[in-house]
Amino acid sequence: MRSARAVDLFRNLLRPRIRVVEALRGIDLTVRRGEVVAYAGPNGAGKSTTIKLLSGLLAPDVGCVRALGMDPVRDRVRYVGHIGVVFGQRTELWWDHPIAASFEWKRVVWGIPDARYERMLGLVRELLGLDDIFHTLARELSLGQRMRADLALALLHEPEILLLDEPTLGLDVLARRRILTFVKELNRERGVSVVVTSHDMAELEQLAGRIVLLHEGEIAFDGIFAELRRVLTGRRVLTLETSSGAPPVLRGAVLVRTDAGRHEYAFDAARVKLSDLLEQAAAVTDVLDVETHRAPIDEVVADLYEHWLRGSS
Amino acid sequence: MDVLSVTRGPQVMIAYYVSDLITGLAAITATFLLAERFDGIGPWTRSEVLFLLGYALLVRALIDTLFNWNLAHISRRIGRGQLDHLLVQPQPLWMALLTEGFAPATGSGMLLPGLGLLIWSIHQLGLTLSAGWYALLVINLLASIATVLAFEYAWGSLAFWAPRASEEINSDTWRLLMQLAPFPLDGLSGLAVATLLTAVPIGLVAWYPSRALLGIGTASLPAEAYLLSAAIAFAAFAMWIFTRGLRRYCRTGSSRYLDYGHRR
Repeated sequence: MRSARAVDLFRNLLRPRIRVVEALRGIDLTVRRGEVVAYAGPNGAGKSTTIKLLSGLLAPDVGCVRALGMDPVRDRVRYVGHIGVVFGQRTELWWDHPIAASFEWKRVVWGIPDARYERMLGLVRELLGLDDIFHTLARELSLGQRMRADLALALLHEPEILLLDEPTLGLDVLARRRILTFVKELNRERGVSVVVTSHDMAELEQLAGRIVLLHEGEIAFDGIFAELRRVLTGRRVLTLETSSGAPPVLRGAVLVRTDAGRHEYAFDAARVKLSDLLEQAAAVTDVLDVETHRAPIDEVVADLYEHWLRGSS
Repeated sequence: MDVLSVTRGPQVMIAYYVSDLITGLAAITATFLLAERFDGIGPWTRSEVLFLLGYALLVRALIDTLFNWNLAHISRRIGRGQLDHLLVQPQPLWMALLTEGFAPATGSGMLLPGLGLLIWSIHQLGLTLSAGWYALLVINLLASIATVLAFEYAWGSLAFWAPRASEEINSDTWRLLMQLAPFPLDGLSGLAVATLLTAVPIGLVAWYPSRALLGIGTASLPAEAYLLSAAIAFAAFAMWIFTRGLRRYCRTGSSRYLDYGHRR
């Protein structure tokens, strides 16, 4: 235990306590060619570690990673020529140079044939809207512009696999939409396999058909989004509009918010029937309007994370 | 790309070269003033001191030109988790380390002053130069550069194990070598000189190779043999420790990432 007490400081100096954390454990994951896989989990679950393993930046202690028939670490030089990596919190652009210069640098270092370079350059300039910023210094770009440029840079050599680690972190709605649309189009038209991590579940659902949820370095769920919803909970949201301002008390439902006669409840459809709740409400007040819908995926997953957090503490 | 940096405008270009020149002159001023005041330092005449200064400046300028962008200060890249940027490039790491730092425009500010000082001192000394002497000059410069880089990489590799504590260790090792390199070490005790020619190779940066080239002290052949052997030994040690660190890096990754200084 480390503390500021002198005795602990000396104890730590003589016999430091080192905790070894297993970032990933027993991961068995196959991504098919042309598939888009969303990779999610709470902070520290192992998402970025997986991206690093797939990029050849990390070697697993046990087990193996194979991609495109290669070992990402042993065959690194050949392998990285077939993948594109974007880390949302980093940039591959040369800071004091125009984007155009970074692109030219990539062409030379990656040895991209002229025809391919021109074709991909035209594509990314058009679809990611780079024309206005093509000759702007990287350090003068906004975060959204920089991410678009970074994504474009990662695609210039026409990779077969695209690894995106939180590519929309800190971006506004417009910049997010632009990047998501582009990645979807890239996957649809060119069959690029994509592994993308994010904390934004709605965004992941929009992008990927399949989601892999990590918890403490292990796969907690691997399937499609609809299946995730079904497995996790039958959670629904019920909104009642009543003549009186006070919300009726409904057994089996939790009042989430109330505002001027409009009351929102959360309930588990697997346990409570909607008709029972409506009967309860009608018995105590005039119900003017009813709305019901599934809980947003973000809330469903947040509940799951909270459940995991409580479980581990 | 490097040329693009300085050709952005006349003010930028002037600012680059003037600041480089001031830094370079500041590095050799102390030795120059001492030599001027006492008409030489120890057994070294004023012109020989100028030769030493020119040689030291040239070594520094060549490293700045060939290993810019913190490639000579590798502890920064390792400590800041920035090796990842090199590892995602489809080329062997050694090739990236040898090529990415090439900065002929922004790093060569002291190249001409160093060369000028060397030529002027040679003229003052009235040396008769042969093709063999020029070949030795090139070999000595390469050996000095290899020794400095090996020293930097050996110490810089500590950042694989202690990234935060060692991030700036190369700033100190660089200062240690470069600030003391232009001083003649004659007159120090035998133990001190032996230390400065082995464990802490300050003497191998400029003093010892300059002696060999000027024919001061030790006979030229054994001196050259020692210079080359030392450079090879330092390089082998640096490669050994760097490779061990790199293996660790590939197993544990970097626990910290700072974008500061990356390609800036």
